[in-house]
Amino acid sequence: MKIRAIVAGAILLFIAVAALAPGVLAPTDPLAIHPLESFRPPSFEHLFGTDESGRDILTRVIHGAGASLLIGLSATAIGVSIAVVLGLLAGLGPRWLDFGTTRFLEVLFAFPGLLFALLFIVIYGPGIVTSTIAVGLATAPGYARIIRSTVLQVRRAPYLEAATVLGRGRAYRIVHHLLPNVAGSLFVLVTLGIGQSIVWASSLSYLGLGAVPPAPEWGAMLSAGRTYITSFWWMTFFPGAFIVLTAVATTLLGRSIQDRTRS
Amino acid sequence: MVEPLVTDPLPIEGASRARHRWLPWALLRLGGVVFVLWAVATVTFFAIRLIPGDPAEAIVGGPGSQASAEALAQARADYGLDQPLLTQYLTYLSHLVRGDLGNSYSLRSPVVDVIGENIGGTLLLAVVSLVVASLIALGVAALSVRGGRLASALASLLEVIAAAVPHFWLAIALILLFSTVLGWLPPVSVPGVAGLVLPVLTLAIPLAGFLGQVMRESILAAISSPFVLASRARGENERGVFWRHALRHAAIPAIGLTGWAFGALISGAVVVETIFARPGLGRSLLSAVQQRDVPLVLGVVLVVAVGYMLVTTLTDLADRLVDPRVVRR
Amino acid sequence: MKRTLAPILAAATAIVVLAGCTSTPTTTSTEPVSGGTLVYASGDAEPTCLDPHVGGNYPQALVATQYLESLVSKDIDGTVIPWLATSWTEADDGLSWDFTLKSDVTFTDGTPLTADAVAANIAHLQDPDTASSTGYLAVQKVESVEAVDELTARITLSSPDSGLLDSLSQPWLAIESPTALERTQEVNCESPVGTGPFVVTKWNRQQSIILERNDDYSSPPADAAHGDVAYLDGIEWRFLPDSASRYAALQSGTVDVIDNVQPDTIVAAEEDDNIVEVDAPRPGASNRIELNSSKAPFDDERVREAFIRAAGVDDAITSLFFGTATRSYSALSSVESFGISEPEIFGYDQAEAATLLDEAGWTETDADGYRTKDGKTLELTFPVSTNQSIPAEQSLFEQIQATAKEAGFKVVLEPLDLASWYTALGENDYDLVSAPYTKVGADVLRILFDSDGTKPAPSGYFANHSQVTDPALDELLESANAESDQDKRADLYAQAQKIILEGFYILPLYDQQNHYLLRSDVEGFRALPTVSTPTLYDAWLNRS
Repeated sequence: MKIRAIVAGAILLFIAVAALAPGVLAPTDPLAIHPLESFRPPSFEHLFGTDESGRDILTRVIHGAGASLLIGLSATAIGVSIAVVLGLLAGLGPRWLDFGTTRFLEVLFAFPGLLFALLFIVIYGPGIVTSTIAVGLATAPGYARIIRSTVLQVRRAPYLEAATVLGRGRAYRIVHHLLPNVAGSLFVLVTLGIGQSIVWASSLSYLGLGAVPPAPEWGAMLSAGRTYITSFWWMTFFPGAFIVLTAVATTLLGRSIQDRTRS
Repeated sequence: MVEPLVTDPLPIEGASRARHRWLPWALLRLGGVVFVLWAVATVTFFAIRLIPGDPAEAIVGGPGSQASAEALAQARADYGLDQPLLTQYLTYLSHLVRGDLGNSYSLRSPVVDVIGENIGGTLLLAVVSLVVASLIALGVAALSVRGGRLASALASLLEVIAAAVPHFWLAIALILLFSTVLGWLPPVSVPGVAGLVLPVLTLAIPLAGFLGQVMRESILAAISSPFVLASRARGENERGVFWRHALRHAAIPAIGLTGWAFGALISGAVVVETIFARPGLGRSLLSAVQQRDVPLVLGVVLVVAVGYMLVTTLTDLADRLVDPRVVRR
Repeated sequence: MKRTLAPILAAATAIVVLAGCTSTPTTTSTEPVSGGTLVYASGDAEPTCLDPHVGGNYPQALVATQYLESLVSKDIDGTVIPWLATSWTEADDGLSWDFTLKSDVTFTDGTPLTADAVAANIAHLQDPDTASSTGYLAVQKVESVEAVDELTARITLSSPDSGLLDSLSQPWLAIESPTALERTQEVNCESPVGTGPFVVTKWNRQQSIILERNDDYSSPPADAAHGDVAYLDGIEWRFLPDSASRYAALQSGTVDVIDNVQPDTIVAAEEDDNIVEVDAPRPGASNRIELNSSKAPFDDERVREAFIRAAGVDDAITSLFFGTATRSYSALSSVESFGISEPEIFGYDQAEAATLLDEAGWTETDADGYRTKDGKTLELTFPVSTNQSIPAEQSLFEQIQATAKEAGFKVVLEPLDLASWYTALGENDYDLVSAPYTKVGADVLRILFDSDGTKPAPSGYFANHSQVTDPALDELLESANAESDQDKRADLYAQAQKIILEGFYILPLYDQQNHYLLRSDVEGFRALPTVSTPTLYDAWLNRS
């Protein structure tokens, strides 16, 4: 099982480097066009081939890591923040607050994820920002429900009862016992969530509702390559592969952490 | 949309069993459902009214034709767009109660008709995909548990990958492989089974990834649990043990996930129906969003919400019947 | 003599063909065979109403060509030819036209084609309740239509209109059954009634339209290949918006004909022996980028010229269109006989662009390399309609953005859905825009470049996006519209185009692309020369 974590970690490290210092891995300009070198299949010169304006796809995928990772992080941050607030309210507050919050969550749950995102996009229009927010909002209820149940579970745990018996104050109990335990499962959520958010944001881009070309963002590259899929498969394949890779790596890492915290 | 798979650590509330008091529970549940439906209807109504741009333009010939002022005024009158917001809302609610979801701008026919024509396709896709996904997940989980650590690790990895693949990418890969290269299956929907295979696979594979992970964990937990050891001690053979205890244990979280799976399938259907040109609610919804067809978006979302509530209520019921540990507050 | 010979020959050929069929199953026939259903997959948006009088866009024209017909048509040379009208005369003062209709033609609901039917149709177009845009604009000068006798209709105009015949050849002014027009618009949109070779029998929304052969058909246009009923039993008209799946469906044989073909698939299809291409550029204007001359920076002609010098179009077209599109240097489509072309004006020259910008006062450069003047950056807003610009074209704009950057222009591309795009145009919130306009005849220049074209229609839309307001140009365009002598018209339109091109108001790209791909066993397919929509009347399936 350890191998999983190491491989996942290595992949994520590579992607993090690509996000923070793309020039190290891919020195050429991702936006420079070379019209007469367009649509070249993968070769030694261009490992991932070139796109419709002759831009090197490997360079663009690496430079796009930053944008895509940012989207994943932002969407997850939005979702988790909202979820923490709701989950804590429901788990820690009086029963009526829990009741109200749970009903509110149920209402949100009645909209399956993508439909909620589409609803948001219909109102505020397509684009990177709105699709990021939409993904964040759509994933929040799921996280909230898990946080709530974790809070409830911790609340009833023996060590918390022991702390109460020992006379520890409310704030102390929350800060020293509750939050660390919630944070543990939160960390797993965030790790898993980043990969999922990237996948969903790129799906919205594919449908034409998210990022648009010529930005070297993975979703935008997929959207641009969509029409050429039968003739020039590499334009969609490689950005898509990186999206899958990131999602898989975050999932593996998240599950490793989960396994370790459980045992 | 799929939530990250962190299974609930423990069944949540309390520890007592009182199944005979089901009537108050049922009424409370029903009340809850009605409340949620009302809230959903209100949310969708107000949310859509926030859209910038003039809905009247979408009515008259759709985007692409230039309408005259008289035609726009007529549209506003017909659809009540110049009434005050509260009046529109109350009218909307009263229509809903009567089952009238308005008229679709872009398709020029009543929304209920559009939904009626399309719901069959999506339901078929969802149900078949769910069945196929469950079978795949169960099969893989069962084989991997038997096969030992290596098989288990491999299956786990495959499931994670399957769950992470975006629907559109998978659809394209499948089309490229089975249609363009091998020529076995049609790339777009045709009547009959052949046209169903690729869309179902596209939806089922990621779902199987998630279900498989859940099932395997449950099976593994069940296999090493005391009552299974006791069964083995009693001399029951492997197979009996597996099928009777472990499977039932695997089924519980899977049933609980059915509601969520339904939602995930509907979300996936939006992409899959579009790529494979299959008639269905997903495709109707996407084109309604693209054309700002307000009544149709509202109608589809409402119907999906109703269906979702129905499915989750049924799965909750099933959950209670199957799992004696789960109770209500 | 000919009458008895033909059937005998036909019978003889049929016998030979049948004999051939039974002995060698894969023999291809050269004589049209009746039967079969053709599956057509359109990539255009599904129409909201099957009656092209309502609204009036290209997707409607595509399908309406199969079941509705117009008074006149045009042949490949651009000559107006008879269709539902067999002959026509213009009065000396140009204020009225008499059309003689073909006899014994009935609509598929049994109503006969008479002059009253023509009157009812024009009235329908002019009725505000119909909400017609394209047809309405085309018959703006029509004051009345009267029936001189049962088969002769007199159209009276408020002033002479040399583009009347062109307008009447379009599918948006097709003649429908007057009885059918009296039904509600809901019903008429579902199943319009015409005189065409096929009839609409069912419309499965978002899926397909089912058409069946009209067995009483008797009115093909003068340039049709045969004169009887259609060969096909029916047509299944499907909607497949995703271009990759559409092509895949054609390759696998699931569909027989597709439109809106992307350039790369056109090239791929050349390799495939089972697929044939038909290229049918749309009439009207060429695909061009219009420069908004009503506000800075393009109110200065030197800046407009600089932009045109700095925009690298040719390489982009070569790489993105794979030789399927030819660079255009004209404001009009290459199928318009009055079009003139001036390649010398549109040469790519970065040095010249730099000089012009210096002259115009844009002498400083900021840190990113964009030119500035008095603190303002040389920025150009370019809203792009994702519905109307195919992906290759959007990539073309990206490449122009990159080459223009070398001269110091900052081009901001804004991909928008159609509604938002119309809004941006209506609010004058653009410097560059590409707006296709399909219309038969050089009169499209008047719609696009006359100063009246800057005044918005009731819907807010105006067509003169380069906002040219030149009285001399207006004079030329209006005279051309009133002029009936073809040579004089040609000269007037040539002068008008010189003003437009040499004023650097537009950057022509290529003809409005309109390609069809068909399975090689589909014979007799052709595009009507009017607006290049496909007609399946002469089509037959060569499958034994």
